[in-house]
This record gives sequence, C-alpha cells and structure tokens, in this order.
Amino acid sequence: MRQKIPYKIYPDAFGPPDAHLYSAMLNVQIALLSANAPRTKRFEAIIDSGATRTLFHADFLRYLGVDLTAGEPEIIQGIGGRESTYLHEIALYIPGGAVKIKAAFKDGLPVAGLLGMQGFFEFFKVSFDPEARACEIERVYRA
Amino acid sequence: MLLRSAPLNSWIALSQDETEIVATGATYSEVVERSEKAGVSDPLIIKTPDQWSPLSL
Repeated sequence: MRQKIPYKIYPDAFGPPDAHLYSAMLNVQIALLSANAPRTKRFEAIIDSGATRTLFHADFLRYLGVDLTAGEPEIIQGIGGRESTYLHEIALYIPGGAVKIKAAFKDGLPVAGLLGMQGFFEFFKVSFDPEARACEIERVYRA
Repeated sequence: MLLRSAPLNSWIALSQDETEIVATGATYSEVVERSEKAGVSDPLIIKTPDQWSPLSL
C-alpha cells in the first residue's frame, strides 16, 4: 500500500507577511490497547526521521483517561537538552492498519506528535520529494 | 492561509475538509468537546506552537 502525502503549509512569522513553511505530516489516531477502546480524533503528527522514538503530547493520555506518570520513565536528548518522557503501549492507527507500539508522551510539546524511527518508520518505506512537495509512504509488513 | 488566524499554543479543530476552524481550546479534551458541540464529530486536530517558525525538535 502506497500513499502520497502533500506537505502541509504553515505560516512563518519571521518572513514577509505571506511567508510560509512546509512540513511532512500524517493524520493519525491513537487508542489504548484494550478491546473496543475509543480512538482519539484524527490529528496531525510530523513524519520525523530525526526522532528515535514516536512521541506524543501528554494531553492525549489525559483524554484517554491515563495517568502520564504511570508509564515507564525515559530521558530523551533533544536539540534543547534532556527531557523527561513516559512510555506507554498504545495502538497507533496508520495507513494499512493499526499497530501496537511503545510511544513516549510528554507535556509542553509545540506539536501534537512526532512519528519517529521506533513506532513509525519500522512500518513504512518513506521518501521525500522536494519538487512535488510531497512525501510517499509504503507500508511494509513483516512476518 | 487558514492557520494565520489560529491562536498560538492552542489546540485547533478543523472541519473534515480542512477548510475551516471549527473550534479551539487550551487542551486536546477541550477542543474535542467544543468541536462536538459545534456539530463536527470528525475534525482534524492540530496543535499550534507558541510561534510559527522552523521546527527542530
């Protein structure tokens, strides 16, 4: 299964009035692993090969009724320094079907989530086309 | 561009066709509740940063 995903366009506050930026984003949903667990609404997450692990805003856990700190603590190293996160096992709804992953959660993220090497890229071949301003993902199924 | 008018450091709900902001909120739960009150049960949710600038996370 292949899907072409046009880059999303965002304002750039530091350029001229019409300045904008491009970002590769995918609309996803998450849920707890229990049977018939409700999903979040669709939300935009950045396709980010620079992220070791898939990371989501902690607000999603509160919506799903889960205590952030009940997860396994993990320290991550970001551009801005060390950050504390908590790992939770969830279902991630992505093109081609849901997968069970261990994702990190934290408060204060400027975005809803990052789809990283663990929890996202292990399920897809991903290519970026700067001319088409689009990303192409192809689901990989392993036995 | 639709997002220029969106509040910063907030959660935004877009209509299903992504052409209209149907609700905003300080939390994910709040924007979902407001979106449903606005009659939009299948919004696309976006988290806005505290300023629109290039991201390196």
